[in-house]
Amino acid sequence: MTAARLLRIELRRNAMPWILPLIAALFWFDSYRPSTTQSAFWVLRTFWNMGQGHTIIDFGPFVAGVAAWMGSRDGRRGMGDLVAGTPRSRWAAQLATWGATAIWAAAAYLAFVGVMFAVYARQGLAGSPPWWWVAVGATAVTAFSAAGFAGGVFFPSRFAAALAAFGGFLAMVLSSQTGFGHTSGWALILPTNSNGNFQPDSGILYPYLPDLPIARIIFFAGLAVAAVAVLGLPARAGGPWLRRAAAVVALAGAAAAGTAVWLAGTARLGPHGLVIPALHDAASDQLTPYTPVCRPDTGVPVCLSPAYRRYLPELATALRPVLAEVAGLRGAPSSVAQTAATYSPGEVALGQGMTISGRPPVLGVPLGALNLPGAFGSTTAELTGQLQLLAVHVIAGAGSGAGTPAQQAVQAALLAGAGTPFAAQPGALTNYGLPSWAQADLGALTEGHQSRRGPGAVAGPVFAAAQRLAALPAAARHDWLAVHLPALRAGHLSLAQLP
Amino acid sequence: MNVQITEVTRRFGRTQAVAGVSLETGPGVFGLLGPNGAGKTTLLRMMATVVPPSSGSMRLLGRDPGSYASRKEIRRRLGYLPQNLGYYPGFTVAEFVEYFALLKEMPAGQVPRAVAAAVERVDLGGKARAKLRTLSGGMLRRAGIAQAIVNDPELLLLDEPTAGLDPEQRMVFRGLLRDLGQRSTVVVSTHLVEDVGAACSQVAVMNEGQVVFHGTPADLTARGEGTGAAGDAPLERGYSSVLAAARSSLAARS
Amino acid sequence: MTAAGVHRASSGAAPVRTRALPARGVTRMAWLYLISRRIPAALGLLIGVAAVLWASLYWRWNIVGGAAAQAVIPLTLEAAAAAVIAVTTYGPFGETERATGRWLPYLRLSMAVVLTAAAVGALAAAAAGGQLPGGTLAMLRNVAGLTGTGLLTSVAFGGAFGWAGPLAYLLITEGALAGTWTTPWMWPTRPPHDLGGALCAALVFAAGAAASTVRGSRDHAVRLTRSRVHRS
Repeated sequence: MTAARLLRIELRRNAMPWILPLIAALFWFDSYRPSTTQSAFWVLRTFWNMGQGHTIIDFGPFVAGVAAWMGSRDGRRGMGDLVAGTPRSRWAAQLATWGATAIWAAAAYLAFVGVMFAVYARQGLAGSPPWWWVAVGATAVTAFSAAGFAGGVFFPSRFAAALAAFGGFLAMVLSSQTGFGHTSGWALILPTNSNGNFQPDSGILYPYLPDLPIARIIFFAGLAVAAVAVLGLPARAGGPWLRRAAAVVALAGAAAAGTAVWLAGTARLGPHGLVIPALHDAASDQLTPYTPVCRPDTGVPVCLSPAYRRYLPELATALRPVLAEVAGLRGAPSSVAQTAATYSPGEVALGQGMTISGRPPVLGVPLGALNLPGAFGSTTAELTGQLQLLAVHVIAGAGSGAGTPAQQAVQAALLAGAGTPFAAQPGALTNYGLPSWAQADLGALTEGHQSRRGPGAVAGPVFAAAQRLAALPAAARHDWLAVHLPALRAGHLSLAQLP
Repeated sequence: MNVQITEVTRRFGRTQAVAGVSLETGPGVFGLLGPNGAGKTTLLRMMATVVPPSSGSMRLLGRDPGSYASRKEIRRRLGYLPQNLGYYPGFTVAEFVEYFALLKEMPAGQVPRAVAAAVERVDLGGKARAKLRTLSGGMLRRAGIAQAIVNDPELLLLDEPTAGLDPEQRMVFRGLLRDLGQRSTVVVSTHLVEDVGAACSQVAVMNEGQVVFHGTPADLTARGEGTGAAGDAPLERGYSSVLAAARSSLAARS
Repeated sequence: MTAAGVHRASSGAAPVRTRALPARGVTRMAWLYLISRRIPAALGLLIGVAAVLWASLYWRWNIVGGAAAQAVIPLTLEAAAAAVIAVTTYGPFGETERATGRWLPYLRLSMAVVLTAAAVGALAAAAAGGQLPGGTLAMLRNVAGLTGTGLLTSVAFGGAFGWAGPLAYLLITEGALAGTWTTPWMWPTRPPHDLGGALCAALVFAAGAAASTVRGSRDHAVRLTRSRVHRS
């Protein structure tokens, strides 16, 4: 009850509430506002503010500064003798002050994020909120408060708050660059590293993997515990047993933080995100069941997760010309279904494509991995181009590589028939992460290399074959594919066998 | 005896702030007089267990403050008002007193009543909810006294307690001292000789880190009779006479 | 204590009023003012901030994301320098100091200008030979403008929290750099020789210096009387 009373006094007289209006304004500006340009998915809207830690950047430095101010209070106010002359250990009194500071900071963080999530919910975002990342943020803010408070206690100077605030900000800025682009190594513990842990279909087709958030929570909790425990080490903090206990707790906190860093170093990229073997629960690998929404009126039924229903028209429209080329043929897809976007180990960028599998064959579309309109500035035209290219790529049987010359030629012809001119295709292949063609054929298609006879001049053999196939009437092309599609997909067709 | 000090010294670097002081006192009000730099505040800080002595021995409330456990027990039964009172401007008077009541490990259930009583005793009842930053200097001093007496201490150490108090409040405070001295040992360090005369049953005069007089106020007054020492009141003349004697003794030695 | 050595005016003579301090007196007064504001420590911190800038340029602590992103770390350090300057405006004396003669505004203004110049000088020295984004001209503009925000924050909320203004501005600037804003009020986003950005930064510095000169940083003693007090 004594602790509660002490805490109550400190909560009522803490300086943290005074900085909250400023943080609120910055939170709106830096965490919420940029997210509104993203597509209406939880995982996309929260990629910047939760996945890349911008809510922590908005809070942490200010929290550290105010906490340093609170920690330096005794020194600045000449309270040293008065507090030292009381039986309750100085550490206990400091814990009450820090506790109040941390409670204000964490509660404000949760409140601000809660309001933002409530706004998102009203906007009808698809998927589910990244709750684990909220816990990471709250723990990080608590760690900032602990570090700042400890700094203020040991350096009760007027500059303590400024140094704590800017030191915290610089640390966050540097952390955003450490290990940038890496999906392994200790740098994954840093809160601004988003690689491999905010997957496109997270919270939609599969859950957010909690492995990395758990490691980060352990890390920040360890830092907070160590920073607060260090306050119990000086002679004035309390009696010998208390100081020994403080030393043990400080070591434990440091060990926890170090263990978390080691755990992050063991992370590996799994299909649904970063997996830390020691923390992984196999249940989180299960796909989230759903009842698909379909568009059956396109001839070939197209079915998606309800979260993506708004893209059904675009998907159906984009795939219609491509699917029409192979409609009714052996091995051609009889329906389209969404597959979960996954990472393949060894890949940094998402270079996965569509699949054709099952009996009857189903075209699997990893829609979450594609350039959805509104996500990171993509347009509907870009999505259409990407869908068509990936579809013809898999229909031609090219797999994860560039494919045989015959497959490349058929792919190019089908794309041209669907509306992507030959000249635009090498760029599209590169943009969407697919291997491009042979250099000789590329040279024919780049600007300035067209012959004086005008566009469409024959250069490489693949290009020539593609032109011939594309020049055929649709019915003739369909008939040719009816005979040769299986051999083409098996890789047994040569360029000479193309019409 | 609540206070037993034997040949205690305290050095800060090259400065010998307290140079071998021996004192004993029990319940009652004990006054500590002396010029600036005499070592009064340092002696009080040692008695408050805030700084340890460099040498010598102390027993406070029957305990040796050298061990942590004893120190804790002493502090539970101690009240201390330092010369330079630090405070948190954002706290109210009641919160400030409550804060120290809790730090003194008073039972939580007793704290509200004890706080109210302490605040009333220093005549700040009407200002209990006022922020400390809004108080005048005298009121702040009274708030400091309130936190010192909230736990009904057996040993009360007051360094310049009447600084900033108006004459009426000083009279009230003297009454409070006499009242407290009936049950506790109250050590008052002050420049104001008349406060010592009005409230103290014993008085010591310090100079250059040593006690140069220890006795009753009447004894101190007697030291000044017929000496022609400076002072408007008999006690002041006694004080001046003692100091003058101490200084000439020092000068003769050096 | 005796009156020996105390100079007394002869009776009947009017008291002598000294209107100007001798130079030595001004220097001594300025020095004591600087000590009271912990200026030596502030200068040490500015040198420390400059050292971090040197390290960031030497070891190329770059931020991925193009030219605008490269400016974030130097800008953070410039804002830190401005925050240190803002915090020095906190005065420990309160009303006692304000109830003195006419020198206080001059001392405030001089300190703000001298510290800003010292910050610019230290950062320029640290950046010499390195590739500071925008160069020294941009750094001068940024430090001046950020110091202005810090001084304004100190006047409004107290010297102890003067750091909050530069930090908030830094966060907004980080967003502006990412969003390619062009308003001159976001002067760090403008080219080094841009007149609009320089003018805005200069205006903010002038406003902050003027406010700090006239009113000084807010302290809680103002609330004691709950009435209008002269803060100059």
